[in-house]
Amino acid sequence: MAEQGRYLYAVCRSLDIAALDGLRGLGDRPVEGVESDGLVGLVSAVDLDEYGEDGLRRNLERLDWLETAARGHDAVVQAAALLAPTAPMRLATIFRDDDGVRRRLGEQAARIHTVLDRVEGHEEWSVKVLTHAAESRPEPVGAGGSGADYLRQRKQEQESRDTGLRDAHLVAERVHDALAALAVATRRLAPQDSRLTGLSGTMVHNAAYLVPRLRSDEFATAVGRAATDNLDVHVDARGPWPPYSFAMLDDQ
Amino acid sequence: MTATPLAAPSGGAAQSSSPPIALVDLLDRLLGTGVVLSGDVLISLAGVDLVEVRLRALIRTAAGEEDGDEYGDEYGDE
Repeated sequence: MAEQGRYLYAVCRSLDIAALDGLRGLGDRPVEGVESDGLVGLVSAVDLDEYGEDGLRRNLERLDWLETAARGHDAVVQAAALLAPTAPMRLATIFRDDDGVRRRLGEQAARIHTVLDRVEGHEEWSVKVLTHAAESRPEPVGAGGSGADYLRQRKQEQESRDTGLRDAHLVAERVHDALAALAVATRRLAPQDSRLTGLSGTMVHNAAYLVPRLRSDEFATAVGRAATDNLDVHVDARGPWPPYSFAMLDDQ
Repeated sequence: MTATPLAAPSGGAAQSSSPPIALVDLLDRLLGTGVVLSGDVLISLAGVDLVEVRLRALIRTAAGEEDGDEYGDEYGDE
């Protein structure tokens, strides 16, 4: 049998390990709990042929492999987050054995508890704002127009796009302020390319919001209001998700 | 334009039927955030900036971008 390591998905607390029964991780291997200092690390076995340093370097070049790993990781985190306060780990955190996991949880217990204090009872929402204002419109110059007319028209179009984009950024800031007021923390992410998201338009805002579970309804209502109040942009909201964007050790 | 329907339009009740997280959103999170434990960890993507850079290049390629220059450059806390 190939040499194995232990893949750590997330760290929970107040988790009844029996509740993990039947939960499957990467490669359909059973997820087990490793306990230390009131924390439970969720682990499963992985083959080091696949997840060792050489294997990872090779496999990370393959998008299908990466997607499978990310989805497998996410499935365990999502299941755990329904059961107990959960701090997701970064993708591909692999230990040699459970003793290594236990030792590390023990060493970092205080800092992990701080993360769990922050996310307990909270969920993550993703909100993006997109605009079509920056797109060029196909407006062919009229027949007989001079070169100067053409250039003037081009300049006007460019100015109109710049203005539209600036306005969209202002709208996005208003949307952000309204939503941030309901969140305990926010994190801005880089705008994503439409070819990656399949969302049309230019993304002018991409952020994560850590929202108390008890305020989910209120947050959803505020998102709806932001959309209807700002019909010139598209507000794309997703959630609730596990608190991925907010599970960072303090000095990380 | 309208808002994309929320997973739970009336608020949080329909969590189990949420659609899966888009891969690009998931990777932004799994590669950019999440608890990083170093030390006696055998393998960790923490600090392996090159891995992340290569991953992003890979994702861009898969998305059919000819040259990616704007995706994933900056992350900022607020």
